Amino acid sequence: MNKLYLLGSKKWHTALCISLTAVLLGGCWDNRELNEIGISSGTAFDWIDNRWTITYQVINPLSSSGTMGSGGESNTPPFLTFTEQGTSIMEAISRSSMTSTRQLFFAHSRMTVFSENMARKGITEVLDLFLRKPDARETVNVFISRRKGRDILDQLMQSSKNQGAGVQLMMQQEANLSSYYPGIRMFELAVNLASESHCATIPEIKLSGQEVMDTTQETAITDLPSRLELGRLGVLKKDKLVGWLSIREAFGLTFLTDQIKTASISIASEPNKENVKDSSFSLLHSKTKVKPKWENDHFVMDVHIRGGGMLLQLSGDVDLNKPGEINRLEQNINKQVLSYIQDSWNALQKINADATGFATLVHRKYPRRWKQIKASGSWDKEFRAIEIRPHVSIKIERFGLGSKSYKNIEKE
Amino acid sequence: MSTSRPGIASQSNNSGPDSVPSSRPFTDSLEDNLNELLDRLGESADVVVRKLDSEDVLPIALVYIDGLINVDIINQSILQPLTNTLLQYKGKESKESAAEHLRAKLLPITQFQECKTFESAFSMLFEGHTLVFIDGNKVALSMDTTGWQMRSINEPTSQAVVRGPKEGFTENLRTGTSLLRRKIKSPDLWIEEYKIGARTQTNIALVYMKGITDDQILKEVRSRLNGIQTDAILESNYIEEFIQDGKWTPFPTIQNSERPDAVAAGILEGQVALLIDGTPFALLTPATFFSFFQSSEDYYQRYDVASFLRLIRVVSFFVSMTLPALYIAITTFHQEMVPTPLLVSLAAQREGVPFPALVEALVMELTFDVLREAGVRMPRAIGPAVSIVGALVLGQAAVQAGLVSAAMVIVVSFTAICNFVIPSQVISNALRLIRFVMMIAASVLGLFGITSFLMFLMIHMAGLSSVGVPYLSPVAPMTPRYLKDVFVRAPHSLLKIRPKLAAKQEAYRQAQMSKENLEHDSSNKGGQSP
Repeated sequence: MNKLYLLGSKKWHTALCISLTAVLLGGCWDNRELNEIGISSGTAFDWIDNRWTITYQVINPLSSSGTMGSGGESNTPPFLTFTEQGTSIMEAISRSSMTSTRQLFFAHSRMTVFSENMARKGITEVLDLFLRKPDARETVNVFISRRKGRDILDQLMQSSKNQGAGVQLMMQQEANLSSYYPGIRMFELAVNLASESHCATIPEIKLSGQEVMDTTQETAITDLPSRLELGRLGVLKKDKLVGWLSIREAFGLTFLTDQIKTASISIASEPNKENVKDSSFSLLHSKTKVKPKWENDHFVMDVHIRGGGMLLQLSGDVDLNKPGEINRLEQNINKQVLSYIQDSWNALQKINADATGFATLVHRKYPRRWKQIKASGSWDKEFRAIEIRPHVSIKIERFGLGSKSYKNIEKE
Repeated sequence: MSTSRPGIASQSNNSGPDSVPSSRPFTDSLEDNLNELLDRLGESADVVVRKLDSEDVLPIALVYIDGLINVDIINQSILQPLTNTLLQYKGKESKESAAEHLRAKLLPITQFQECKTFESAFSMLFEGHTLVFIDGNKVALSMDTTGWQMRSINEPTSQAVVRGPKEGFTENLRTGTSLLRRKIKSPDLWIEEYKIGARTQTNIALVYMKGITDDQILKEVRSRLNGIQTDAILESNYIEEFIQDGKWTPFPTIQNSERPDAVAAGILEGQVALLIDGTPFALLTPATFFSFFQSSEDYYQRYDVASFLRLIRVVSFFVSMTLPALYIAITTFHQEMVPTPLLVSLAAQREGVPFPALVEALVMELTFDVLREAGVRMPRAIGPAVSIVGALVLGQAAVQAGLVSAAMVIVVSFTAICNFVIPSQVISNALRLIRFVMMIAASVLGLFGITSFLMFLMIHMAGLSSVGVPYLSPVAPMTPRYLKDVFVRAPHSLLKIRPKLAAKQEAYRQAQMSKENLEHDSSNKGGQSP
């Protein structure tokens, strides 16, 4: 009985100790009032004159406060930017406290911009910082800019006061509706760079004009001379930017990596006028399967793409009721997708960066061979030798009202 | 008005008298008796002594307390027969037989008792009886002539319903028991009466259903009532605080109600009701935590609506307890939890607010409590002024002056509204106190503090009991079949078993009751059909 009692009391002691440690582990030791923090919505990293230049975009709550209270002045900028320089990242970060009246708060940060020269130098330091700092969010969208990163952060947006959130929305919409390329978040970037292929892609963000629209008066016009827009796709290999894919090439890569959500594809409707893209097809769903195969002395990738969607626009002299017409259009779509894939593949081979993640597939299918490849460090060579065999089968599932193009109906 | 007297502790029942010469009997002499009586009463202005004596007539005296009696009854049922008798008497018989004669034959009155001591005489007088002293008799005749001003039965003010009976208890104990009798026409409705309070001699009725209420509970309640050593019971809260289980808890363990239907429902479920003379609020015990979320209207509305409303109450309870604390925790610790646009708008509102969120919340909550208290005390004519001051000055103007943020006003007012959703006043008052502790916990440790405090509350509540019934039952200890009437209200046809209040003999009793109910039902039908 006595022993049992002791055991019981020991249990209680353990429980008490664990719950007391929980007090220390709670993680919410840091009490800060809302008006003491500067909510950062974006960060930019530049590499200028061998020094880190970090720009923070801090939301200015006064401009977003609507009608209540003392705020709501429309000519105060919706956010402010601070730029700091330092020989290391942390130095630049800690200097921010010397200019900012508020403690910077990064949990709501939506985007991080790397300048191109910084990306070419290598991004590991930034990645490490993001993964280590407790208040840094790994879910921020990452972009590369050819200009200085701070130019991007200075640019005001018209429809979205919070620029970081606006860019994130823009990225999401692009990825969902046109699927040229998916956006990438910090943790995905880290995961991709750490994978077998050591490659990742980062979208480019750029200004459509030369000027930076950074005063509130300038945005009071309907057609801004310069807007933020998404550009090409930067390819990183081993944490360094090694090349760019055009939007068309990026689109092919998206097919290869099975990241298509909905996309529209322009096709030629008439067989004799192949290069006149007068019709368009909306791809609603698509699935890509890649199977690696070892053939004699190189890898062959069997790429099977299956998908379906609806015909959005039809011109030319086509009657869908005729047998084989739909089939022929489908063939055109397939051909189009094949050409995207081929272009993309050629570009990737030229850069020699495995942004497709084929290395992971090879590792899975041929673990032993992969060990050899890894040991000899010959993946680059193997990658260059890869042959892809894409098979595309996309179905037109719906074609809307009428089996003929409106042009034909008009003629009749 | 008094001090506690340890000397009285030896008495088993507190109905005994308070003054030192206990139980002094009357003497033969009418004069002596009357003098002594008036002396003890301090010749109070409302004591009326009416002497009937002339030359050849037996001396008789009527004593009553003005205001407690019905003058008509005295005139018709006592004075008139007495004078007739006295006229006939003329010294024919002995004094003793005269008294016997009066008592047995002449006085046409229902309640009729004999008093032999001063003490019993006093208690009779204060009940509104009239005492008749006859010279040469050691016995006074006590007649029920009760008739004081009473409030009529009105709609309950604190627990109004849209649908359901509109009658409420009054201050009169007898009215209360009669209202219950009218609802439960069963011989099993047993009423025990106690007199508690050495000086107030307050009548207390313990009402229960014989055969449904657990004997254990009944015994416990009785012994707790008998254990009360006080000289004054003026309201049911006196009793509640004396008999409740834990003293150190903000949670009430005894229900109170102004509604006879709610009390009857409680009695039928095995609760013990305590009706206290002088207050319309009856007590119901044992009461579990979840019984405070039940409103009598739940049973008068369709079950789906009732269930929805009950869920809203439970949610409101938690909102009312935690909302200001959550606001503090999230805005000072966990800003990352809030969607960015909301955070920006909150930050914009807090721009220029001079105080930290905790101070802001405390000030606003205290302000609301002050307003609420002022609203209760305020004379009815200037009542609306309070709401204007509260809404305009303290809400809008304070926000515009930048003293508090608009979001905080919303949080505080929504919390207050949620507090009013809970049907039981006692538990919403408990919340008012808990809320402050919760806010402080939140300001120190954030969400972690809130969770810790909630767990502390849970442990505390799990440890409470009400007259031996676990406070969180039937959720903890869990009894799934009793959950039909806890968070939701199942249709009446499905509420076949009575929620268990006491641990013992419940199954047996339920079985017996349901059989009885069936028999009762069939006999009713038999009675109606011919």
